[in-house]
Amino acid sequence: MKKFLLILVVVMASIFVFAQSDIPVKVTLTMMVAGDQNMVDFFQYEIAPEFEKLYPNVKIKVVGTGPGDAGSQQIIQQLQLEKDSGKEKWAIDVVVIHETGAVWAIERGLIRQYTDFLTAKRLAIRNTDEMALGVNVDGYVMPMFHSQTALAYNPRFVKDPPKSYAELVEWVKKNPRKFGYNGIKGGMSGVAFVFGWVYWKSKNTDILINGPYDKKYEEDWPQIFAELKEFNKYVTMTAGNAGTLDALNRGEIWMGPVWVDMFYTWMREGRMDPNIRIILLDPGMPGQPMHFAIPTKAANADYALKLIEFVSSPKIQAKYIVERFNWYPAIGDDFVAPYLTKEVLDRIYKDVKQAELLKYGKPMPLLPYKQDMQEAYEKWVEK
Amino acid sequence: MRLQTKERFIGFLLVLPAFLVLIFLYVYPLIRAIWTSFLKDNHLTWANYGKVFEIYSRDVLYSVVMTTGVVLVVLVLSILLASYLRFKEWRFLDLMYRLPLFIPFLIVGHAMRIFLAPHGTLNNLLTRILRVEELPGFSRSWIGLLWTFVWVMTPYAALIVLGAFRALDSSYIEAARNLGASKAKVVFTVIMPMCKPSIMVAAILTFVRTISSLTIPVMIGPNTPNMITVDMMFRINFFNDWGVANALGVVSYLIVVVLAVYYLRFMATERGGIKG
Repeated sequence: MKKFLLILVVVMASIFVFAQSDIPVKVTLTMMVAGDQNMVDFFQYEIAPEFEKLYPNVKIKVVGTGPGDAGSQQIIQQLQLEKDSGKEKWAIDVVVIHETGAVWAIERGLIRQYTDFLTAKRLAIRNTDEMALGVNVDGYVMPMFHSQTALAYNPRFVKDPPKSYAELVEWVKKNPRKFGYNGIKGGMSGVAFVFGWVYWKSKNTDILINGPYDKKYEEDWPQIFAELKEFNKYVTMTAGNAGTLDALNRGEIWMGPVWVDMFYTWMREGRMDPNIRIILLDPGMPGQPMHFAIPTKAANADYALKLIEFVSSPKIQAKYIVERFNWYPAIGDDFVAPYLTKEVLDRIYKDVKQAELLKYGKPMPLLPYKQDMQEAYEKWVEK
Repeated sequence: MRLQTKERFIGFLLVLPAFLVLIFLYVYPLIRAIWTSFLKDNHLTWANYGKVFEIYSRDVLYSVVMTTGVVLVVLVLSILLASYLRFKEWRFLDLMYRLPLFIPFLIVGHAMRIFLAPHGTLNNLLTRILRVEELPGFSRSWIGLLWTFVWVMTPYAALIVLGAFRALDSSYIEAARNLGASKAKVVFTVIMPMCKPSIMVAAILTFVRTISSLTIPVMIGPNTPNMITVDMMFRINFFNDWGVANALGVVSYLIVVVLAVYYLRFMATERGGIKG
């Protein structure tokens, strides 16, 4: 009798326990995010609360690794450590990386193919989800947003801003040291400006962007960089992406290349002189997406996918990516527009119109060309 | 005999933790860094050093010159400060000179960046006082970098030098003063020679800390030429190129090693003399 009672209690208890099993287990979704502080804030303060409301069993942990390719580099190192440890379940569930990072991660087998399961993938209209720096990344990445560099100018001093690189060269000669950029070691806005310069001068721009890679397409570079060195004599060197914006604010420089999203965010927060405007130079300036990727052996890949789906949805793209953070959406504008007020749409496309963006917004060059350009700058411009 | 072995063993155990820390955190990474600096695409090669020579030779030279400059200025300042405080008790100065010790490099970098910018705090003040339109800024130039390094490094050096000066037996100084030596003469002919080892330590610590600093050159330094550390960061961040970065690291090791050898020689000859 006693034994029976015991069995009964055990059975009852197990029924009670197992009946709960459809209540999902607690999950901590760890994500590593490259990029400026605004990226970390975006996930920590905007996305995490919304997502946790939707899935109460999930807790999102955000780790920021800093701006530029450096941030992606750190993430790659972390993933490599996980891989080298031989563990079956990696501690990182989602990563947000630059295109360079995505290429590195794919080369090393650190991220997996997942976008077949992503409905939002069908809404992506640019081909950034398929090609990154000339490498086929189809399946591995989903853009989180698109970002673009542009030339910011202060209309108080510059009534008629240059519209192309060629006009800019003339302009700096008339206004020495009033154009500033941050070289190539202090952040991507300067790097992008240099890439744009090469796109303008090179005879092989399409090959630099789409491949194939061959040193013979770099033959005209010594001349190109020599001209850039000459150009640099008339410009001011600023300290980093933020340094350019600061110098614009203080009136030290009247013009300089900036990231559009950073520019608008600073402006919205009152950290930027609201009169400053932006323009895209002919024949084009580079921009880049940030990519979502899932590590090869992520422990919570299912929730990672749900998170990516969530952020890529038109509503969230409209409300947060465009309205709050001033990025260009990862998915087609037409899908996002219904969720936006006219005012927001006007603000984000105030200076640079959508058509200009498609015309002058260029991708970053092929990874090997990109690295060659940076090294060429060190060799021929800095020395 | 047995006891002796046992004692030896215990002695070894006592040293072991420190020894292990040294092996794992210093010797192993050092060997690995040197090894990696010779690797390119998994082949042993001098190519990385070739690149250092080709692209960064000027930066290496710049780093050495800049660091030496910083050390000289810091030494002059800290000896002046220490001499003053040796002769005269001034609690305010005694506290104030240590203030920069408690401010992180990053904060100093940012503060100086704003302070020294062309339209920064300093120039805003000066232009108003002097009634001129524009003044050149010192941030992003070697002057700004030197200024910031000196600001950061002087307190450490002064702390060491002043400690040595104060530890010196006053009777030497009093004897010299009684014989009619001026204060300056006492400093140069009595105090400084007797405290030479401490001054050397201050110089070497300043040198090593300066040449290995990254934050300050990144924030204040000119775009070109660069300190070695900035180039190392650039190689890793933008090219994922650990070979050249480590080669640059080895070069800076070598620079410091030259100094270390000199220091050890110096200490060996000094030993038996007056302790600092």
